[in-house]
Parts: sequence; C-alpha cells; structure tokens
Amino acid sequence: MKIPDMAASAAVADAGIDRALFEFADYDAGAGERGGYSNYSYWRSTFRMFLANKVALFFLALLGSLLLFTIVQPFLPGQLSPTKIFNDPETGMQYRNLPPGDRFWLGTNSIGQDLWSRIWSGTRTSLLIGLSVGLAEMLIGIVFGAIWGYVRRLDRVMTEIYNVMDNVPSTVLLMLFAYIMKPGFRTMVIAMCAVGWLGLARFVRNQIIIIRDREYNLASRCLGTPARRIVTRNILPYLVSVIMLQTALSIPGTIGWEVFLTYIGLGLPVSIPSLGNLVNEGRMIMMAPELRYQLIFPTVVLSLITISFYVLGNAFSDASDPRNHV
Amino acid sequence: MSDTGSLLEVRDLVIRFSLRGRMLTAIRGASLSLAEGETLAIVGESGSGKSVLTKSFIGMLDQNGRIDSGSILFDGQDLAAFRGEEDWLPLRGKKIAMVFQDPMTSLNPLLTVGRQIREVIELHRGLSGRKAELATVEMLDKVGIVDPERRADQYPHEFSGGMRQRAVIAIAIACRPRILICDEPTTALDVTIQAQILGLIKALQRDFAFTTIYITHDLGVVANVADKVAVMYAGKIVETGTTEDIFYDARHPYTWALLSSLPQLGVKGSPLYSISGTPPSLFKEIKGDAFAPRNPHALKIDFEREPPMFTVSPTHRAATWLLDPRAPRVDPPEAIRAMREKYLGATI
Amino acid sequence: MNWDESLEPLLEIRDLGVDFRLKGGAVLHAVRGASFAIGKGETFGLVGESGSGKTTIGRAILRINEVSSGSVVFKGRKISGNIDASLDREVVQKIQMIFQDPMSSLNERAKVDYIVSEGLYNLRKGLGEAERSRLVQKVLLEVGLLPEFASRFPHEFSGGQRQRIGIARALIMEPELVVCDEPISALDVSIRAQVINLLSALQKEKGLTYLFIAHDLSVVRFITDRVAVINRGQIVELAETEELFARPLHGYTQALLSAIPIPDPRRERARVPLVYDSSTRDYSGAAPEWREVFPGHFVLADEAEEEAIRKKYI
Repeated sequence: MKIPDMAASAAVADAGIDRALFEFADYDAGAGERGGYSNYSYWRSTFRMFLANKVALFFLALLGSLLLFTIVQPFLPGQLSPTKIFNDPETGMQYRNLPPGDRFWLGTNSIGQDLWSRIWSGTRTSLLIGLSVGLAEMLIGIVFGAIWGYVRRLDRVMTEIYNVMDNVPSTVLLMLFAYIMKPGFRTMVIAMCAVGWLGLARFVRNQIIIIRDREYNLASRCLGTPARRIVTRNILPYLVSVIMLQTALSIPGTIGWEVFLTYIGLGLPVSIPSLGNLVNEGRMIMMAPELRYQLIFPTVVLSLITISFYVLGNAFSDASDPRNHV
Repeated sequence: MSDTGSLLEVRDLVIRFSLRGRMLTAIRGASLSLAEGETLAIVGESGSGKSVLTKSFIGMLDQNGRIDSGSILFDGQDLAAFRGEEDWLPLRGKKIAMVFQDPMTSLNPLLTVGRQIREVIELHRGLSGRKAELATVEMLDKVGIVDPERRADQYPHEFSGGMRQRAVIAIAIACRPRILICDEPTTALDVTIQAQILGLIKALQRDFAFTTIYITHDLGVVANVADKVAVMYAGKIVETGTTEDIFYDARHPYTWALLSSLPQLGVKGSPLYSISGTPPSLFKEIKGDAFAPRNPHALKIDFEREPPMFTVSPTHRAATWLLDPRAPRVDPPEAIRAMREKYLGATI
Repeated sequence: MNWDESLEPLLEIRDLGVDFRLKGGAVLHAVRGASFAIGKGETFGLVGESGSGKTTIGRAILRINEVSSGSVVFKGRKISGNIDASLDREVVQKIQMIFQDPMSSLNERAKVDYIVSEGLYNLRKGLGEAERSRLVQKVLLEVGLLPEFASRFPHEFSGGQRQRIGIARALIMEPELVVCDEPISALDVSIRAQVINLLSALQKEKGLTYLFIAHDLSVVRFITDRVAVINRGQIVELAETEELFARPLHGYTQALLSAIPIPDPRRERARVPLVYDSSTRDYSGAAPEWREVFPGHFVLADEAEEEAIRKKYI
C-alpha cells in the first residue's frame, strides 16, 4: 500500500483566516489539569432532589407545623390545663363528654378534662418519647453494629447476643420492664430502647461488612488508621442516609408501641396524657356515636405523625442515594 | 442501502444529556460511514463518547439523553428520527446487535444459558420447541463451546469468563444481525483468552456475513481486527482512515499521543510520551479545538476556531489545523516515525 | 538498575503460602510456596492473570492478608504474623501500597487534604497544622497536581488525577518500598503513560523500591528490572526482564508472552498465540522444584524439563 507523502493534503478551510493564527500557541501544562473538574456536590444534589419532591415538602411542612404548635400551644392565650377537671359552676358536676364547642374546642372527656389541651400535651409527650427513643436507639445501634461489623473476632460473640435478644418477644420484654419498674416516662423510654436497637444494629453491621473490604478502607489500614477512625470517617458517612431512614421510621413505631402498652395497661399513668392514653380512653367509649370524637381526634393526630415520618424518611433516603443523583 | 452505498451512515450527530439540571453535550457533531462487511474500530478514552455513539444506533441511550440533531441512516431509515420503543423493536437485536464489556452482568444469572439463547431464537426467528433447542445447541457449538448440549443447561456462574463472553456473542448473533457492535469485548478478559475471542468474532463474521463495529481503547485489538478506524475525542471524531493510515500515517496530535504513549513503543530508561491534563468538561461550550489545552503542537487558531475535517487521502481524514497549508510543518513523534520506517521498509 | 546480590535484600518472601477459608469449609490455596527477593532501588515485576495470587502476595506483604505459611522478611526482620507495635509502626511507614481502582480507593466523603495526610495523622502525633499543610502541598506538587486541589473532593477529579492522589497519599509517608498493585490497569491509555512516567521519576528522585504487580506484560517490560511470573498461586519463572522476554523457559510464560497484542497491524495479524495447558504435564514422578537454570534465571520445573532446557540452549 502506498503511503501518500506527509506534506500533501487538500485543505478545506476558508481563506479568510489571519495567517498569524497559524503560529504555535503557548503551552500551559496546568490548563490541562483544570479541565477535569466536575462541579458535583453530594449534599447539594441530595438537597435538590429532596426539594423537588412536592409530597415530601408538604409533609415536611405539616410535621413542622405540628411540632411547632405542640411547643407553642401552652403559651397561647386562652389555653386550659390538660389535667384539670372542669366543673359546671352551677351544678357542681363535671363537664363530662361535652361535644366540641366554644369553651372546650374539641370537647371534654369522660371525667371533664379539656380534650384540646390534652391532645397537644399528649402529642408532646408521645413525640418526646419517640424522639428520645429514636435517638438512643440510633446511638446504641450504631455503636453495637459498628463493633459487630468491623471487629471480626467479636463477630461470633455478638451474633449470639443479637440472636438471644432478638428471639425474646418484644412484647414480653416490654411487659417485664413495665412490671419491674414503675410505669412512667423513663420506664417507657428505657424499655423501648432495650428492644428497638436490634434492627439498626443488624443493618449497620451488614452494611459495614459490605463496605469494610473496599479498597479505600484497605488503604486506610495500610496507613495505620485505627479501626475506630476507619469506622467513623470512612464508613459511617456512607450510612447516614440509611440510618436516617431507619430512625425516621422508628419514631412512629415507638409511638405505636406506646399506644399498645397503654392498651394493655402497662403504659404511662393516666395522670400523664399521651396519645396512647387518649386513644385508649377514646376506644373505650367508641360504640356511642356521639362520643366518637374522643377517639377520632387523637387518632387523626397519630396518623398524621406516622405518615409524615414515613414519607419524609423515605424521601430523604431516596434523595441521598447517589445513584438517584441524575 | 443509502445513496452513498454504505450500510450505516452517521451525519453530524449531536447527542445531549440532561444531568443534575445541566446539559452535557456528549456527542458534538460526529460523522462516519460503514460499508458492508467492514470492521470498524472506534477508538477513544473515557469521556470521548464512543459508547454513547454506538448506543444511539440501537436506541439504548439513557432516559435523560436524546439526539438533538443529525441523522443515522441505516437500511433506508433514519434511526435518529425514531421516537418510541415500537420503532426500535424490529431493529434491535435483529438487525443490529450489541455485545457488552462485562459478560457476567450481560447474562441473566437466574436463567440457564440455553434458555437465554433460545429466547432470542424464538422471538426473532420464529422457531419453537425442538427446532429452537437444536438451533440453540448449534449456536453454542458455532461459538466454540465444547459439549454444547450439556452446557446449554448450565447457569452463567458455571461458565468461565471467556465462555461467558462466547455465550453473550451467541445470543447476539442468534438472529443473524447485519451489524454487530462489540463494546470493549475483551477488556474484562485475560490476555490469553482475548486472542481467542477476537478470532472467534472474525470467524463468525466470515461465516455469517455481518459487519462489525468495535469500541475499544486497546490499540492492540484495533491492530488485530480493524479495517477502518475512527478516533474519538471529547464527543467528536477527530481522525478516520484505514488501519494502516492510522498506525503508520497518523495526522492528528491526539492520535500521535495515543500511539506514542504505548509502552511497546517506549524506550526503557526514558519517559514515555504522554499528554498531561485531562479531557475537557462537556458541560461547557467548547471554543476551538477540544484537544488544544493538552496539545503541545497547538496553534493559536486551535483556541479560536474548530478545525474542519481535512482530507489526507480518499480513505484518510483528520480534523486538525496542522493539515492546513498555512500551518507550520510538524513531524510526528519519534516512535511513530520509526514504526512507519519499518513498515515502509517491509513493503517496498 | 542491577541489584547487587551481595547486599541484603530489602524485601524477601520465603516459601509464602496464603490460604482462604471458603463457605462450606473448603480451603483455597491462593498462594503456594512463593519465594523471591527484592533489592533496594530496583523495580521488581510480578506478572500473572486474574486469580493467579499476585494481588494476594502484595496484600500479604502489607499485612492486609494473613500469611498461612512461610514468611515475609523486611530488612532482615520478619514482618508477617504477630509483630510488636513498634515494628508494626515501622512497617506502616516504610512499606506503602498504591491500589488498582482509583474510583474505589479514595474515601469519597473526605477532602483530598484529609485523604493525603491520613497517614501523617497516624504516625506523627505532634505534627503542627502548618507543617502538615506544607507537606500536603509539597507532595501534591510532586505528583503533578495543583495545591488548590487539597480542598476538593475525589469525585471532582478524573481517574488519572485520582490515581495520583493515591500516589501522593503513599508518598507522604516517605516509604522505602512501594507495592504497586495494578496501578494503571483501570486508567485510560494516554493517562497510563503519565502515571508510569511519574512512578519512574519518583523512583529516581527518592530512591524508592517498587514491587510492580500487573497483568500487562508490555508495561512490565518497560518499567521493571526483574520479573516473576505467577500462575495459580505458584511462581513459575523469575529472571531479569530482558532475559525473560528473550528466553522464556516455562510453558506458561511462553504462552503469556505470545498473547501480548502488538499495536502494529502488520505484525499483529501475523502473530500466533500459544496455549499453555498444565494438564498435559505429567508430574507424577517428582514434583517440580524451583531451579536456577541460568544465572539469575529460575524456573519451576522437574528434572526432565531442566534437562530439555539445557539441551536446547547449550
């Protein structure tokens, strides 16, 4: 095959270009390095995706206003005490089972307490339980799961501990706690933490097992990084989104447990209003149609909280998955 | 066949992706033509757009990508004008088939290999039952799998890497496509298996009379199989020609860089020829020649105006201002000259 | 660079065996009876295909994988198995690794600044912030990156740049031995040359010793002084690089060499690859041994094969 002479080529370009442009340009090696820069930020993309989810934003606003209101409500004018029993000054009798009206905005319950303030007080208590349990579960679950997943030697032992605790039915354990300790806020929190951390621990452990042999973690080991720092700086940041999801879902779950325990009589004492108490009281009289409002109002609030956490947890988890960042 | 007599013709194709709110122009105006029975190799590095280009031939662009302008002429139709899946179904797998890089993820791990091949045969060739089974075994035999009856009932994880790639090839050619696109078919394989697979595809090409497009960054593969080569950089085809044109008479500085950076052409003890820097971001509009910031032979005009395709010979074209008669004469790097000398010495 | 054999080798692996326990109780012998020595300042290549055990050897040297039999000796002291804390610290500082995949060998959630100085945090407890920052800048420049990159995240960089960040991370420790585990396989062709040149330049500047693990023989030929070929956990041949390429003695080496693609159409189309089939060899008599057939050129062979080699070349 004949190779054409190097210098011969037929040009197609137009003749109007300045000849001076055909000189060599200055070569800047650094300019080439800057070319590869890509402007992607993980958290910015996560944020953007979350904000684009209109349903999630709605529930965020809903939950946010709910939370805000529970905090602000006692300081608003015209609020009544949630535990005080109101008597009709004329008859001396308690204002029992009054339907929603001017004075008692959501009516009263069977012993004359204001339902409106009870619901908000109850929501406060239940949310507080839910959030503290959620936070405590997260901490215990992460620590246990991290050690379990990362330290190979402890894997056998910790798997056994997990299996034992997992096999004990949560209901039995919760009831045991409630019997042993006096029913109260602290009891509930401790009891539910004792049961709830298992799920997150298992999850964290599985994720760590998947990630710990990736090259960047091997590199950290070669550099002498201690296990503690590998877990906190190399692995846990990858798990933020899934940990958030689990925690977000556990909060309504905790509140649900509280309702259940109250139902079987092991929850908070009646003197501390909670959504569980309210639902329980309402359930007892729900057969009478004119009294159903006592069940409906707390149930609605409970449902809204549950749905909000569920939607927000899922929305955040989807938004923080880098595979969705397109 | 289109009016120019070529089997597949791409004209000024522009493909854009919408990514995180911004537009990425993956293909910035590519043109090429493929004649029947030819083997074309599209050479480029990551980000050059070579995979995107070939995916557009079978309508497999990601959801967020679309063809903005240009045409793809095949068999009397403009594939760039296709709008929905119904347009692609009679074509994809049947007339144009694709073999991907990683055979493990190309095969369904839950189905036997035989079942996967049979599925294609039943769907596209209309055979069924016993006839389809026989055709499946015949296919496995043709791709060089020993003991095909037994192998047809096995699952992908029971096959070795090379055998899986053979199975993938069997699925691709089961319905006698006219064009087979192979996207880095040997990159995931050991070097001792590579030659076997390439040889297999060449043999099948003869027996089944199809045209092959290889996408690769491995110049050894190109030297082995290709008749024609198209070199891509930053979404454009910067040089096309026959294999001899490209290896012995390359004109574009990027092609020089690719060839000279091969360790086989290096001299021990001295540094390898290399280009510094990285390819440009395709999110931004590129002024002038995309390769200019990394081109040690860049002219001032490379930063101002994009070079058109200059014709070196009827088979050989390159888009570089160095081919303009007003440009200073630049010799290709030493190693390429040496290879050329040896080639000239051998043929004359 | 020729290694003066009268000097003590920098690194020696002696009859190394690494086993992995699989599910169901089976044992995988990833490495069996591997032995070689690396001299200070040389580039030693370890070549094999996937699953041959070459990466396992590299990781065993770095103490990532546990050694099941044999030993790894560094500067005359055994560094495999249980060692005391001060020796462990010394190993961490003096032996470093460059990993294969730039996409998974950097912590995506950490800034380049932290990634590069991670080792310093571990080793030099009393290092001041200004000094640390200065060292990071220095090493980034040495690998051809701009100091402004320290405040960015890995995903903002290309594969070649990321690999250079990985090199910087290893370099800042001022190691003596660097194990390069397929450092360029995952990179584009033109970027490979950049990284190879960088590794060579750093070696000359800093007197580094490399164990270069690869499957690409053309790169190995270019960069190494001596090469060992490994097949299914066993080292089958070891020689100076040019000697190995000129006179490959083991069947597997010959097959491997014949399979290298040549980027020259005329020669590539004329190339005929050989096939090595270990089952055709009959080792029922005596197991093959590690024999020095020519000075500095070792092969795994039995007596009959050694005889055949001598006859052929003398």
